[in-house]
Amino acid sequence: MKIVIVGNGVAGVTCAMTARQRDPHAEITIVGGETDYFFSRTALMYSYMDRMSRRDLEPYERKAYAEQRIALLRDWVIDHHAEAKTVHLSSGATLSYDKLVLALGATPNRFGWDGINDVKDGLVHFVSMQDLDACERLTPTTREAIVVGGGLIGIELVESLLYHGVKVTFLIREPYYWPLALGREEGDIVTEQLRAHGVDVRYMEEMKRIEVDSVGRVSGVLTNKGETIPCQMLGICVGVRPSIDRLKAFTDPPQLGRGVVVDETLQTSFPDVFACGDCAEIQPIEGRSYTEMIWYSAKRQGRHVAANLFGDQLRYAPPIFFNSSKFFEVEYTTVGEVMALPEGTPTLFRKHPTKPLCQRILHNGDRVLGFNMLGSRWNHEILERWIRERRSPAWVVAHLADAQFDVEFGRANLAACIQRELPLAKEL
Amino acid sequence: MIRRTAAGLFLHDLKNRGLSAWTLSLLLIGFYGILYFGQYYWTPDSPCTDNASCYSEGAVCEAGACIRESRIERGQDWLYRTATVHIDELGWKIGASMDAATRPDGTLVRDENKNGVIDNWEHFGNRWTVYGMLYTLGILLGGAWVCFKYRHNRYQIVRTGVVMMVQTSFAFSLPILLKFFHKPEYYFSYMWPLKIDYLDPKNFAYYGEGLVLWGFFASLAVVPVMTLLYGKRWYCSWVCGCGGLANTFGEPWRHLSNKSSNAWRFERVAIYTVMGVAFLSTALWFASAVLPDSSSLHAAAAGTRKWYGLVVTASLSGAVGTGLYPIGGTRVWCRNFCPMAAFLGIIQKLGRFRIRVKKEMCISCGLCSKYCEMGIDVRSYAQAGLSFTRAACVGCGMCAEVCPRGVLRLENGAKVDPQELSLVSFLDESWKGASSSVAAKI
Repeated sequence: MKIVIVGNGVAGVTCAMTARQRDPHAEITIVGGETDYFFSRTALMYSYMDRMSRRDLEPYERKAYAEQRIALLRDWVIDHHAEAKTVHLSSGATLSYDKLVLALGATPNRFGWDGINDVKDGLVHFVSMQDLDACERLTPTTREAIVVGGGLIGIELVESLLYHGVKVTFLIREPYYWPLALGREEGDIVTEQLRAHGVDVRYMEEMKRIEVDSVGRVSGVLTNKGETIPCQMLGICVGVRPSIDRLKAFTDPPQLGRGVVVDETLQTSFPDVFACGDCAEIQPIEGRSYTEMIWYSAKRQGRHVAANLFGDQLRYAPPIFFNSSKFFEVEYTTVGEVMALPEGTPTLFRKHPTKPLCQRILHNGDRVLGFNMLGSRWNHEILERWIRERRSPAWVVAHLADAQFDVEFGRANLAACIQRELPLAKEL
Repeated sequence: MIRRTAAGLFLHDLKNRGLSAWTLSLLLIGFYGILYFGQYYWTPDSPCTDNASCYSEGAVCEAGACIRESRIERGQDWLYRTATVHIDELGWKIGASMDAATRPDGTLVRDENKNGVIDNWEHFGNRWTVYGMLYTLGILLGGAWVCFKYRHNRYQIVRTGVVMMVQTSFAFSLPILLKFFHKPEYYFSYMWPLKIDYLDPKNFAYYGEGLVLWGFFASLAVVPVMTLLYGKRWYCSWVCGCGGLANTFGEPWRHLSNKSSNAWRFERVAIYTVMGVAFLSTALWFASAVLPDSSSLHAAAAGTRKWYGLVVTASLSGAVGTGLYPIGGTRVWCRNFCPMAAFLGIIQKLGRFRIRVKKEMCISCGLCSKYCEMGIDVRSYAQAGLSFTRAACVGCGMCAEVCPRGVLRLENGAKVDPQELSLVSFLDESWKGASSSVAAKI
């Protein structure tokens, strides 16, 4: 069987490795245009901050691909013929397939800000290797930078720029940091961290116009408050969308919506073509379609597609949501889609009087629904199990220490946290 | 990307095999060369009786050893002078001042030969005193920095504190005190097979039966039991001076260890070879001590002692182990050559220690692998969601410290994911021995 995988990100490579375990004889090819080898996108900031080399970002030894007999092609796919079962590459080559997997990833969003079309340089995103190239090229000539967008990528870019001694203004449209995932109280803790590191964080402040100098490099930003902030580098981190633009020009594109539309088996509108990862828009038989644009889902979907390539017909159902992150020194773990719960959901909020340490436990009176934990380490497997087991909030609070995952001798002091009732508020 | 400041550029150079790193490495290797081999360079270890036996060396027989007078008088041999005159002189002064401070009536007698070389090596003031002081200073200053750098991590503070304490007491002060009171110089923080002399029958008379019994008990009972309970970390990163220096003074270079599967293959061959040699040498020494009329055995035993000391102790643990810090990372010796680490590693595989991996939470960033001083590709296990116990792991806890998603934790306890203990998994410690490459697991 000939398997062609488009995209050498985590979804595509996981799919290839899993398929190889399943079938030692399949002919597996990965086509990817971004880099020669799969790298961990989530670790871009560590390379930017000189904690790792670029090579260190590669999760597998380079010889692993040869050992696993996975062919890597550094190329872009520019066309697809469904009838002939072929894809065409920008180098002019044609690949035929028995099964095709689209793992195209995502592209940073840009909105129609005034002046964006005049920008020739100084504007960066922070999701691809080319973005890192651009950031590293611009940093030495940057004294002041503006980062737009209060999410995970934004704060990573802020932290990296601070490392290089750049003065950063962080423009966030929302009233506090990352209301998509955090409550106001957690957001405030992150804000304290940002301010303590010297970041000029501005909430409810948006970019209205981008200003450029005589050669077209970004020179400043006019905000909706009427202030012009000077900068030599502008980081746009306002979310990503599935990378499907290229597909629109194909002879036979699969059905497209926000992303590549797939059914619950992750199959596209063509029978032998699958999609997984950031680019896949999953359309269940009942309910609304959704995309899952995080690392863990990409890996899970990659494995899932690998099984279905061999006719397993497994239906994809995401498990209870979990995620984690780190804001400067403060670690974050979440389980259950906390901020997707209805406004007013009863919440036990526990916070340490002085340290950046808190736990938010959401429940419906009977059983726990979700957790937002900041400032210490938690075993999400146990928190997830408690949600599944429908544990009562009182029981969970009594057993909370069982789910701690801090280092030996370093268990966070939960007893010092002060607990109060705080129904879920949404300020979006 | 390198920070574009003077400090940033220098630190990058020093920490990433730049010119300053190579220079420092050469200086360290040179220092060890002088320390260990300076004396051999001039004084042959075969004693002489008359000038004729020293003739081929171009030297004269002086107080039972060949001395190359002419060159010493011309002051040509800076290596010799540095090693056996200046460093020993400094050590002597330290010893003498301590002696004067504690025993004002002064019973210290300085024996010198006519070239001003201190002859009474047995006393506590010699080059090894200077080396011990520098070593302890390295651990204390480095340790203070590590405690500050990882001040948010109690495991690192406790562990580093213990290492600093053990070094200053058991590995430095106590041996000096013992010598001071004319007792055998014994380092309670070292054991056979790392300190191979402790179970060498030749030295039993010197150490006396109490210390010999302790040596057996420590190596054959304390070490295995502690390792079964807590993993080899209790020794390698809490007690041992080699590990102590690596984790303190060596902190800037811990990430330089080679993570490739080829390096791992070399490690497995090298470390078990040295362990085998250490075990066989000890067996040989016992045989030569017990078996009657065994002159050939005696010769073989003497030969192994000399070569083991020269190759393993002096070269691999000293010059290579520490000298290569800025180039090969801090645990070159511990990872590839230390017989104790090999011995502990095998026991660790049978014990309760493991690195627990939270399922599905890894983002494959690779910081854990990068900062593993033992060159373990921690990421390959973390991204596969597999808790694991690697024979090499010294439990320094740095993978858990640097993980930005809190995926890893060091634990002792009943296994949640017992790793199969087949011969294959010993030889190839990939998960369940299923594949020759951990990369195969997703």
